Amino acid sequence: MTIMLLALIIFGLAYLFIITEWINKMLAAMIGGFLIIVTGIVSQHTAFAAIDWNVIFFLIGMMMVISVMRQTGLFMFLAIKTAKLAKGQPLRVMMYMYLGTAFISAFLGSVTTIMILVPIVLLIAAELKITPVPFIITMIIASNFGGAATMIGDPPNIMIGSATDYTFIDFVLNLTPPVLLITFSSLLLIWLLYRKGMVVSNQNRAKLMEFNEKNLITNPKMMVWSLIVLALMLGALSLQSVLKVETATIAMSAGLLLLLMNNRKKVENVLVHDIDWVTIFFFIGLFMIVESLVETGFIDALANRVLIATSGEPRATSMVILWISGVFSAIVDNVPFVASMIPLLEKIGTVFHANQLPPQAMDPLWWSLSLGTCLGGNGTMIGASANIVAIGIASHNGFKISFGEYTKIGAIFTLNAMLISTAYIWFRYF
Amino acid sequence: MQLASFLDARILFVEPHPKTREEIYSEMVSRICKINPLPVCGAKLVDLVLERDRESSTAYPTGLAIPHVRMEGLNDTILSICILQHPIDYDGTPISMIVLIITDKSASRIYLNIVAALLKASKDPEVVAQIRTCRDGHELLSTIKKLEIRVKENLSIQDIMIPNPVTIGPDAKLSELGRVMNEHGLAVLPVVDAQNTYLGEVGVINLLKVGVPDYLMMIDNLNFLSNFEPLEHLFDKEDIVTVREIMYANHVTLSPSTSIIEAVTLMIRYKCRFFSVVENGKLVGVLTAMDVFSKVFKA
Repeated sequence: MTIMLLALIIFGLAYLFIITEWINKMLAAMIGGFLIIVTGIVSQHTAFAAIDWNVIFFLIGMMMVISVMRQTGLFMFLAIKTAKLAKGQPLRVMMYMYLGTAFISAFLGSVTTIMILVPIVLLIAAELKITPVPFIITMIIASNFGGAATMIGDPPNIMIGSATDYTFIDFVLNLTPPVLLITFSSLLLIWLLYRKGMVVSNQNRAKLMEFNEKNLITNPKMMVWSLIVLALMLGALSLQSVLKVETATIAMSAGLLLLLMNNRKKVENVLVHDIDWVTIFFFIGLFMIVESLVETGFIDALANRVLIATSGEPRATSMVILWISGVFSAIVDNVPFVASMIPLLEKIGTVFHANQLPPQAMDPLWWSLSLGTCLGGNGTMIGASANIVAIGIASHNGFKISFGEYTKIGAIFTLNAMLISTAYIWFRYF
Repeated sequence: MQLASFLDARILFVEPHPKTREEIYSEMVSRICKINPLPVCGAKLVDLVLERDRESSTAYPTGLAIPHVRMEGLNDTILSICILQHPIDYDGTPISMIVLIITDKSASRIYLNIVAALLKASKDPEVVAQIRTCRDGHELLSTIKKLEIRVKENLSIQDIMIPNPVTIGPDAKLSELGRVMNEHGLAVLPVVDAQNTYLGEVGVINLLKVGVPDYLMMIDNLNFLSNFEPLEHLFDKEDIVTVREIMYANHVTLSPSTSIIEAVTLMIRYKCRFFSVVENGKLVGVLTAMDVFSKVFKA
């Protein structure tokens, strides 16, 4: 009991430092991770075994893929092309950029997409002489929606995919439909919120149309080859159940192949600058800390409480998970939350199994966790990494977006997304 | 090292009669050549000395002239000193002591240290008075021995830096900064307050950055953009933004005693061609990569 308390204290403190960022979150997670070993709560062997290397190498592989894909200029090309397709009409630019952001996020992840697209939208808004703030807010929302749609779009999905037997295709079949519904219904919300008030002169619109996006593809051969590798990677992910190859191997193969093709001489540069080692070690530390809660039996106790509260009934349990995840993710970083929820759901799974429930009974629980964490991130300015990054870029450029200003819009979209998710889980799985 | 260790009484002399520069140089060269087998000697060497004089002035305001010749394969440093009782005019500077230095092509460190020691000595009225009482080479040598004029073994930044550089105040507007840079042809200026306390550095890159918004810096590739208006906004901000807002405040600085090799490695490491030299928080000079190049490698 005392040992469980000690584990809880270490977890609680690490969590506090991570969400408040009083110290660097990677440092907090790593200190917590090794503190549980030093204090003897778990052995080093057990703690290291708890690290989900499939997630770690998947992240590293994807970072390599993205690093090379980014050099091709393709995503900037798509962004500028999108804005030009909208002919510089502000509402249309906003809606097109929103859809473009959601689409790219589904493959690149929300943070990378935001880092590529927000500077471009700031440039476009400057040329059109309108405020970029509504564009940035809607793009944040889109990036979190897009990330929720696939297994590779958002870290919570990567972690859930790795912890369970669900394949890339399972994610597409179960998550893409509700996310598409949410994305398009939100387009209506954008129209309602922003249809008036944005005016652009013909002269400024003409400047946008002068952008020569063709220059961005500096090496078409490299782009074609990169796209082929990307397609092969997505193909392999889709055929995962047939190929029997795990996601990390697929992502690493694609990443290493792209590095070999395009960056033979610059590998060091990619490894040092484009692989986000801070995030990688943050994940490693988290897996270790959470293991201490599993080992000491805290997760078991919590799972039993949840099941008592919901009388072990899958529908009620799903709803509780969906809404708790949504609310939690809106206020805190969703990665540590999912890291602790995964063993909880695994425990619930064994109880369901013991109660003679079919294995599919767990499906709505996992999809609820995914939808809740990914979509809840939109609720406030600090709900997801993409939000923090985008608002940071905006503020660097003199556009301060206040907590209230973001939340006013973010809450509407999140509520819409959560209600659609609730209905989806309710009607599809029960 | 003692300066006296480099000297030989036979090539030190006092000239009591008014003579021309060429006559003195010829006398020095013939004395040197008598005791040193040099690869180049006689009238040819005199021409080399005069040629060097024409390249840039070798005269210093303290009345000292230090002509200098580099010679391939010499592998030694030879000093000839002449005290002139009738000063010679070097393009407006009256010179009463000439030190001819002949060095190897690569011996710049010793050469620079000797020059630094000579300059320091020539600024000391006590030293100058004692040297002027000498009547011949032997007396000159024993006086120099007695004075213990030392040649530093290591050259430091203060020997080659530019003292009293052009500076700018932190509250100057960008328009003024631009004017000062333009006037003096400088790309970087140290920023100091009214008490000459070092605050930072400001360069032409900082100035240009005012016209470039942050988000442009975050876009991987800008070749789709042929022109950009905000760059023109630099002109609107010229009279509003101050130097303090755009300067680098935490730049690496050198101290006057920093060695040249350390300064050179810092220049390479930070890819930086300009350093401020700061002592006890006050700016005492600046050093550019070009100073090192021209004063150490090309000296």
